[in-house]
Amino acid sequence: MIQFKNVSMSYDNVTHALRNVNLTINSGEFVFVVGPSGAGKSTLIKLLLKEIEPTEGKLYVNNVDLSGIKPKEIPFYRRGIGVVFQDFRLLPDRTVYENVAFAMEIVEATRKEIRRQVPAILGMVGLSSKANSYPNQISGGEQQRTALARALVNNPSILIADEPTGNLDIRTAREIMKIINLIHRRGTTVIMATHARDIVDSMQKRVVTFDKGCIVSDEEKGEYSFED
Amino acid sequence: MKIRTWRLMAGQGFRNVFRNRIMSLASISAIAAALFVLGLVLAMVLNFNNIISGLESKVEITVFLKDNVQSHEIEAMSRQLNDWEGIKEWKFVSRDEALENWREEWGEQKYLLDGYTAENNPLPDSFHITVENPDYVTEMVEKLRKLTKVEVVQYSKDVVDTITRIANATRILGLAVVVILIIMAMIIIHNTIRISVYSRRREINIMKYIGATDWYIRWPFIMEGISLGIMGAVIAGSLTAGIYYLLVQQVAESPMEGNILSLLQLLPLESIIYQIVGLFLLVGSVVGVIASVLSIRKHLRV
Repeated sequence: MIQFKNVSMSYDNVTHALRNVNLTINSGEFVFVVGPSGAGKSTLIKLLLKEIEPTEGKLYVNNVDLSGIKPKEIPFYRRGIGVVFQDFRLLPDRTVYENVAFAMEIVEATRKEIRRQVPAILGMVGLSSKANSYPNQISGGEQQRTALARALVNNPSILIADEPTGNLDIRTAREIMKIINLIHRRGTTVIMATHARDIVDSMQKRVVTFDKGCIVSDEEKGEYSFED
Repeated sequence: MKIRTWRLMAGQGFRNVFRNRIMSLASISAIAAALFVLGLVLAMVLNFNNIISGLESKVEITVFLKDNVQSHEIEAMSRQLNDWEGIKEWKFVSRDEALENWREEWGEQKYLLDGYTAENNPLPDSFHITVENPDYVTEMVEKLRKLTKVEVVQYSKDVVDTITRIANATRILGLAVVVILIIMAMIIIHNTIRISVYSRRREINIMKYIGATDWYIRWPFIMEGISLGIMGAVIAGSLTAGIYYLLVQQVAESPMEGNILSLLQLLPLESIIYQIVGLFLLVGSVVGVIASVLSIRKHLRV
């Protein structure tokens, strides 16, 4: 469970990125976070990854108060969260397989575990045939699937997706959404920030809308409810 | 961390050296230059120490007598020396013998001494005393100086003191130069690693999101620094060994008699090179580690 309790965030005491946000996301939920640029979506994600500290309020993830996590423990906290970004962030000098295995090397998985887990996860995202390709040899959709595989390979309980379809065409975006939905159905909590109206509208999931740092609406099976 | 992880990181660090060739070359040259100077200083100091301990074990005291000493006075002194304890052996060298020895020492150039005859011989009579134990020397010298007919007492301690002074000056001056060079090398390595870190900042950023610990991110760069240091050490070690070897040969081949180099009994290469190379590797790696740790700090913030 993820809980924001009266969370405010201001970067320089003038610009308020988030104002007194209260939000609860249950385990296994799928939540779209929408809103115009500068509404606070990125700040929300940065807070969840403990890249930044809220200026006010408390943030709990899996019943752990994030303010109590020491800098040294942050890597271990992040291992419980998978992240994908709009720009994929793959390592260009490593193959698809190596990019995914990299995430397991970091947590010092055994060679055996890596050999078992990586092909399985590549199979799940439909990239088995591209395992030995380099990022610049595959399409944007395939790159994002690689990023998803990397985010999931260590079995995180939460997946954060920051505009994962922002660089993709509609058809590819829908494929990515299928995979994310699949991940969600396996029990992973999914939080996805997006500008993709058609995706939000068609998925029929909970939609939390931000504007100027405040939550302006929070609906089950919601729709993309504002004009860009 | 697991052994496999260590291997992974060492390999990565090593590869980084080649990825960043020009800066790596500059770093390796800088550290090699610093270590090479360190090697020269060390070789000199070790040799000075060797000369000093050699002289200290050879405690010979030379007592030069005043010009107008009579033969009965010399006999009286000889009896005195026989009575004193702590003297291993002694020998009297008359001024005539001394002149003859001098001529012999000069060999082919002895004609230069033709102007000296028994009448105008500038050399004094002397006693050459060898002491049983180096600890007696100072005491013995004091006693000898009190004798009325003694002009000057010379013993190896004077030479030892002089060499010690030279050795200390070499050490201080040399080390000062070495410290400056090492600081320069450190700055260059620091920059090299910083460039390496900068060119991989995306990767670092990704690693942070995936949950890599700071040390996991740091180690490859530290390994890169160590690699640079060790490569510099190997180059400096070969250079020092090569030059020292040539020097030893040069000294061995040169005519010992009447040559300034005859004073030098250089230590053989094998007896000093392991210490020097060991120190190089140690200093090289430590410099590499410090320089790289300082370089990484900034980019670890995500």
